[in-house]
Amino acid sequence: MAHTQTQADEDESDEFDSRLTGLDPSESVGAVDIAESPPHAVEEPRASLLEQLREIVVEELWTYRELTIQLALRDIRIRYKQAAMGFAWAILMPALVVAAGALVRYAMAYLSGGDVETSAIAGMAIKALPWAFFVGAIGFGTNSLTGNLALVTKIYFPREVLPLSATLAQVFDSTLGALAVAVIVPFLGVSYGWTALWTLPLVLILFMFTLGTALLLGCANLFFRDVKYIVQVLLRFGIFFTPVFFEPEMFGAMGAKVMMLNPLSPILEGLRLAIVEHHDLLDPLVVRGADGGAILAWTPWYLAYGVIAAVVLLLGGVLIFHRFERTFAEYA
Amino acid sequence: MTRAPIEFRQVWKKFHRGELHDSLRDLIPEATRRLLRGRPPLEQLERDEFWALRDVSFQVTPGEALGIIGPNGAGKTTILKLLTKILRPTVGECSVRGRVGALIEVAAGFHPDLTGRENVFLQGAIMGMRQAEIEAKFDQIVDFSGIPQFIDTQVKRYSSGMNARLGFAIAAHLDPDVLLIDEVLAVGDYNFQRKAFGRIEEMARRNIPVVIVSHQLERIAALCTKAILLDAGRVVKRGEPADCIAAYIAGQEVSTTENEGADAELARTVRLDSSRAILSGDRVRLRVAGTVDGLRPDEVADRQIMFTVRELQGGNVLFQTGTQRNDIEFPPSGPFEIALSLQMNVPAGMYGIDTTVWDGHRMKTSFQGPSLTIQVKESIPFRGSVQLNPELRIEAGSPVSSAESAADAGDLAEG
Repeated sequence: MAHTQTQADEDESDEFDSRLTGLDPSESVGAVDIAESPPHAVEEPRASLLEQLREIVVEELWTYRELTIQLALRDIRIRYKQAAMGFAWAILMPALVVAAGALVRYAMAYLSGGDVETSAIAGMAIKALPWAFFVGAIGFGTNSLTGNLALVTKIYFPREVLPLSATLAQVFDSTLGALAVAVIVPFLGVSYGWTALWTLPLVLILFMFTLGTALLLGCANLFFRDVKYIVQVLLRFGIFFTPVFFEPEMFGAMGAKVMMLNPLSPILEGLRLAIVEHHDLLDPLVVRGADGGAILAWTPWYLAYGVIAAVVLLLGGVLIFHRFERTFAEYA
Repeated sequence: MTRAPIEFRQVWKKFHRGELHDSLRDLIPEATRRLLRGRPPLEQLERDEFWALRDVSFQVTPGEALGIIGPNGAGKTTILKLLTKILRPTVGECSVRGRVGALIEVAAGFHPDLTGRENVFLQGAIMGMRQAEIEAKFDQIVDFSGIPQFIDTQVKRYSSGMNARLGFAIAAHLDPDVLLIDEVLAVGDYNFQRKAFGRIEEMARRNIPVVIVSHQLERIAALCTKAILLDAGRVVKRGEPADCIAAYIAGQEVSTTENEGADAELARTVRLDSSRAILSGDRVRLRVAGTVDGLRPDEVADRQIMFTVRELQGGNVLFQTGTQRNDIEFPPSGPFEIALSLQMNVPAGMYGIDTTVWDGHRMKTSFQGPSLTIQVKESIPFRGSVQLNPELRIEAGSPVSSAESAADAGDLAEG
């Protein structure tokens, strides 16, 4: 360009130099020196795990507790709005599980020439409910981030809120179901003893385990969209690897131990033993198998295993989720 | 050292172009490669990566409003996403202090199956409002949206305008420490837009830092105290909104005028004698300085210096004048300076004044001189395309002579 300017002209703020019309970036930069690549970047040292946990729980979840509630309310409202089933939906899934289980047990009883006891049906009803909770919460939790992409990419809030509210919405459904089961169980010949109080800590363990899983899977599904299909298949067949239809001792002494490796098994079996068998979960329980041998149906170590699995999964889930949270908007 | 509530320090942001590994199958080779070679350093670009922001720095203090302008893909929205903490900088530092109010995607949290009422609480919570706060402001929000009769209707039955109005109404009742605005100024119909803009102005005047991204340049000019112009992730200009807008528009225009015979006459600079931002009806004064050389006397007779006033947005030519039309001869060889004064009887907005040298013999522009941008601010409210400096008063002897009308007349005289 023919018209060049001196540095002095540029400093006079009210003078318009002609280079503005040409807008040559290299010239019109003025005060800013532009580098072609950034200076060497040192990644921020990560805060200690405890510090991160405090940040997540205190600064994020507590601050956004009302959002969590609103999102859970949204999920619940949508589920019951314009729905033919209404609140019956809450007990449909556990009822189907019990019906399927009754069928399986009847076939097994027929083959062995025995009868199906009503308490076995009660035990299944008690175990079907937490299983339905787990399946429902994981299903919604896995999709909680991808199903709210508009929010994830556009508005800031702690993303933990999404799997958490999905799990809480499922808590509402399962509470309705639990009330129904609590009413039905006495009619199946089961009376409540003090050991039924074990329900409370077991439900807490179940919630922690489920939330931890929902966090991990929700996060994984955001990065890899095929995760939800894998989860669907695993949940569909998971019931055969979890003691819902049957009890672990049906598999013999060794089989029972293998069955109890499933971290959900101590929770489900604990619920059944505490409510139906009036068993104190701090005591071991030995039952006699079909061949007359002794089978260890319960030990307090199972309880410890369930607690540890839930705590590890929840803490791991929260920390891993938090670690990847900052990149969600880019991958979504 | 106290830091500004909004601060961007040498921020670089890296993005991937195209697809990332979207299924587990693609992850495994990638992860193996990373294990073998180690993570690439942050400041280095991998294949398919690019810098969406390069070395962007700015700060906004309370009372300041920063306008961010630039073509699509320049990085404006990325800056806002960094400010709202949705994204984090690859390199550099981005800090925002206090509660962020973002007039961005104001209806993003709406669920179609919920009613307007339910959605107000949901969207409010998403924007970080407390339940009690929403309850307290609920009537104001509904009132502002202008759709109280539909508040218990499911949002899926709303028109898109109603949707946006309700969303904006919620966002407009945030009480933020920092305000971020992204292209929400085009919400609803004409009346609602005016109302919304008034609300934004009101929020921006609360002595809080404001950042605005918009393609509505006259809004930037009206609201902002400073601006940056982005291009391909770089800040190419910073300063007065009017300067940045001028530079932006000049950069956007495809230069069709070749400066043929540019060696003959050079209008070098335009100096503004009056303020860059004037009131409608006031005069803008400027001086053009340059040099004429290499023109034969017969050529000089055909040349004239032209001044063209146009609306920046839309580019309509409003007015043109020149040396010949004012019976002024084209300056002889050597340096010259021409003074021009224009009474800007135009509505509020951004205007460009171009200088050109017109070759009357060949009927074409022989030289494209510099341009400048001025901002005209509203002096009196009016409708129309020209400002006719109205003088209005009620003369004595009007049939209604109550105390009220006398007071009105007094108001008019003061105004």
